[in-house]
Amino acid sequence: MNPDPRTPPGAAASPRAVPVSAVPASGARQSLRDVRELIVVLWWRFFDWLAVVSWKKLLLVSILGIILAGILQHPLPALMLIIASFIIKVVAGGKRRAELTADEATKRAETEQLERTVVEARMEALQAQIEPHFLFNTLASIDQLIQTDPPRASKMQQSLIRYLRSAMPQMREGSRPTLGQQVNLCTAFLEIMAVRMEDRLRPVVNVPEGLKSAVFPSMMLQTLVENAIKHGLEPKTDGGRLEIGAAIVDGQLTVHVQDTGVGFLPRGEGGVGLANIRDRLKALYRDRAELIIGVPATGGTCATIKVPYEIAPVST
Amino acid sequence: MPASPTAVVVDDERLMREQLVARLKDAWPELQIIGEAGNGSEAIAMVQSLEPDVVFLDISMPGMDGIQAARAIARAAHIVFVTAHDEHAIAAFEQGAVDYVLKPAEPERLAVTCERLRSRLAQAPDPMDGLLARLSDRLGNGGVAPRDYLRWVQASVGANLRMIPTGDILFFRAEDKYTRVQTPGFEALIRKPIKELIDELDPKEFWQIHRATVVRVDAIEQVSRNFRGQQTVHVKGRPEKLEVSRSFNHLFKQM
Repeated sequence: MNPDPRTPPGAAASPRAVPVSAVPASGARQSLRDVRELIVVLWWRFFDWLAVVSWKKLLLVSILGIILAGILQHPLPALMLIIASFIIKVVAGGKRRAELTADEATKRAETEQLERTVVEARMEALQAQIEPHFLFNTLASIDQLIQTDPPRASKMQQSLIRYLRSAMPQMREGSRPTLGQQVNLCTAFLEIMAVRMEDRLRPVVNVPEGLKSAVFPSMMLQTLVENAIKHGLEPKTDGGRLEIGAAIVDGQLTVHVQDTGVGFLPRGEGGVGLANIRDRLKALYRDRAELIIGVPATGGTCATIKVPYEIAPVST
Repeated sequence: MPASPTAVVVDDERLMREQLVARLKDAWPELQIIGEAGNGSEAIAMVQSLEPDVVFLDISMPGMDGIQAARAIARAAHIVFVTAHDEHAIAAFEQGAVDYVLKPAEPERLAVTCERLRSRLAQAPDPMDGLLARLSDRLGNGGVAPRDYLRWVQASVGANLRMIPTGDILFFRAEDKYTRVQTPGFEALIRKPIKELIDELDPKEFWQIHRATVVRVDAIEQVSRNFRGQQTVHVKGRPEKLEVSRSFNHLFKQM
């Protein structure tokens, strides 16, 4: 787009290069500064080239330069330039090495930053773990069912116990969470919500048994399910369907939560949960994982997490 | 002796409505529950048509929540807020004159509420302007928040529609009848022209640098300038050089 200006510095410095300007003095100063910048840029480009070019290639270019200078009958300046180049190359090699060390240091700093993100994300996940509002509402519902429908109260309480039990180990560090654990947690959560929301929530869990031993980060599926209910289905008067599905696509474990709710709003507050998932995926897998928010043609929202497919080591 | 007092119970969960109705029957047998509603807008319609003396109103409900609904009905009926757990809301109530009930409603606590309501029924309902403003503040749902810039862009990637967070977008560029959305990993298309898009983006996050180009400020790697003062923006990890038109040169004046 912007052609590299290879104009010789001398020509550019001549007065005719000064652009016509309302304030000639400042215009001239401006173009002088441009020329100086250009010389600096060209010098450093030459310097970098010297630093990386192989000795063999430099020798070849030197010989060509001498021949050319011989034809033009000015061998002395060319010879001096070549000698200078060789000296610079010896020095510039050091510069290059210094740069490489600097690059390495930067990379290390980035890794540390990532590790910090992981710790912070874990803390946040801990805090967001069991929403008090959810817990109290569920307990209130059980309280009512005890009087009107004791068997259902008992069932709901069992779901709550299962939910709490599977949420607890996720707070511990070290163990590698599996998709099976995450799905169990979400199933218990969905059972509870289905009692509370009645026919406004129609959950479908469609995860092949064989994939349940795959490694899958904690508290991500849960966030997607909560989002689907809170932002997708609850605002809809007649509710809708929520499906959890999993498959292997192109060697990656692909887990989705799809709802038929009101659809994703591109504005406004929120999105903290999703941002948290993205940060954690980046910290855990760098570029090998992603979170995609899709908009199905049938309406609603489909959130998909893709991570590398790995089987969790069997724990005893 | 006036007719027995009437009430409406509003909660999005049927179980919770049943529970409150049953317990109110014990705590205040004369109180007639004349209606139940499942969300804020139903509640408003019901209050207008049935004109109850009291409304028991859940705070967190889909669509229009309890606080928004209360704004519309506070002058028409005495309101008692119902909540499962909202520390902030509870703090706000404690300063106000209006009562609240925690779920599950304990019979003893409900009896106190009913007693207060009995003594207050003769008076006009408190319009609660101060309390509602405080509640809105504390719960962080002012309703008309000024921040309604796009946070996500709905764009087609191949045959699929996706929501792309604005923080992932490097730049937008007008191309024929579409606008191209460039992220580090892929490009997507939207139909909205740059001209309309720029009004919906946060000016702190995105700058228009050309009639056809909008760039995310944080994605800019460097701005170079040639002899003629023509500026070019380079974006992290992309080969494109984005031209800055003269009228937008001032954006990079300090650089």
